[in-house]
Amino acid sequence: MKGLISTSVAIMAGLIVLVGYFFQIPILSDIRNLILDWAVTLAAIMVFIGVLNLLSINNSRIQTKQKGGFYSLILVISLLITLILGLLFKPGHPVMNFIFYSVQLPVERSLMALLAVTLLLASIHLLRRQPNLFSVIFLVTTLLILLGTAPLPFGVLPFFSDILRPFVAQVLAAAGARGILLGIALATLTTGLRVLFGVDRPYGGQ
Amino acid sequence: MLSNSVLDLITGFLSFIFTLMILSYLIGDNPLFRVAIYIFVGVSAGYAASVAWQHVLWPKLFQPLIFGTMQQRLLLVVPLLLGFLLLAKLSPRSARLGNPAMAFLVGTGAAVAIGGAVFGTIFPQTLASINLFDTGAGGSLVERLFEGSIFLIGTVSTLVYFQFSARATPAGPQRSRLVNGVALVGKLFIAVTFGVLFAGAYAAAMTALIERMFSLWAFLTSFF
Repeated sequence: MKGLISTSVAIMAGLIVLVGYFFQIPILSDIRNLILDWAVTLAAIMVFIGVLNLLSINNSRIQTKQKGGFYSLILVISLLITLILGLLFKPGHPVMNFIFYSVQLPVERSLMALLAVTLLLASIHLLRRQPNLFSVIFLVTTLLILLGTAPLPFGVLPFFSDILRPFVAQVLAAAGARGILLGIALATLTTGLRVLFGVDRPYGGQ
Repeated sequence: MLSNSVLDLITGFLSFIFTLMILSYLIGDNPLFRVAIYIFVGVSAGYAASVAWQHVLWPKLFQPLIFGTMQQRLLLVVPLLLGFLLLAKLSPRSARLGNPAMAFLVGTGAAVAIGGAVFGTIFPQTLASINLFDTGAGGSLVERLFEGSIFLIGTVSTLVYFQFSARATPAGPQRSRLVNGVALVGKLFIAVTFGVLFAGAYAAAMTALIERMFSLWAFLTSFF
């Protein structure tokens, strides 16, 4: 009988929310919205728990003087400063905007810029390690789309830009993407139903 | 208070430094890159926690608990209790106490995911596939039928590729020849799809690289 409470809670909460999708009954809608509100609140608490966990792990690395303790110290200091300022001022306040535009934005964009190099290296590695038909199709498609999209010094390539690229991107790739999307949706549906029937209990129920 | 121009200068300087620190990874993993990444992780975690507090926890939980009516307070007992149970997850000894709260989140999340999958993907995508064969819509009939057929073949064969059910045979579980053939076509469509997605990601990364280079150049030239 271990985990009976957890399983019951998961099934009850899930079924009420799910039934609310299919039947528009006012009282059911109200309960569904209330449950969703509670879930949002709990998700926010989870964010705080995650941050506390991050702090405790890095704190223990500093205390035990492990390798990389200096980096952990930097992380803890930057986290605490941002958190304290974030609790004092709302996001959107000039102080928080300053942090966002000075640290987060340049780092995120620079990491994205690094991707340009790593993706190029990855595509070269792909041809070396898996020189088969599918790798070739994958890379030829990439090249074709880039050639058809990129602003080239001598203008657009006539056949690539107006016929080949739209056909590949909007018909061939869209067909594959639709299959992948439907596959993901069907898998989500199956997994969700398994959770709601209590077959899968990823929350620690026995 | 600092004037706007001084603030802009500090922002530009920090942005310049962080960009250089991150791009230094191109010559290999180094302490400068790590310092920038650890600062980034710390700032992002702090920012996320402050957003959670300012937009959810204070207005939806603590403000009504302190200033709300009795009815509002009673309704908030449940998330408050579940929230305390979630805190038990921080310690391995008491982690089990947090299971009901996790179960609540997982159950609700599963239901929302099912709703999203059915109403957000399965119905609209299936409808869009059917509409491709709508002969009343614009364009020539041959063109529509051609495109619709390719869409149908691509969608079905891609789905078949992810079908892993197989019959038990003396040589082990095997898919039928027909399924294998259709799955092969699906694999071709998947390769093309991923190629297009890869090109999109690469173009975005290239744009970011050009933008960073331009920002470095703009900051340096702003002094002259």
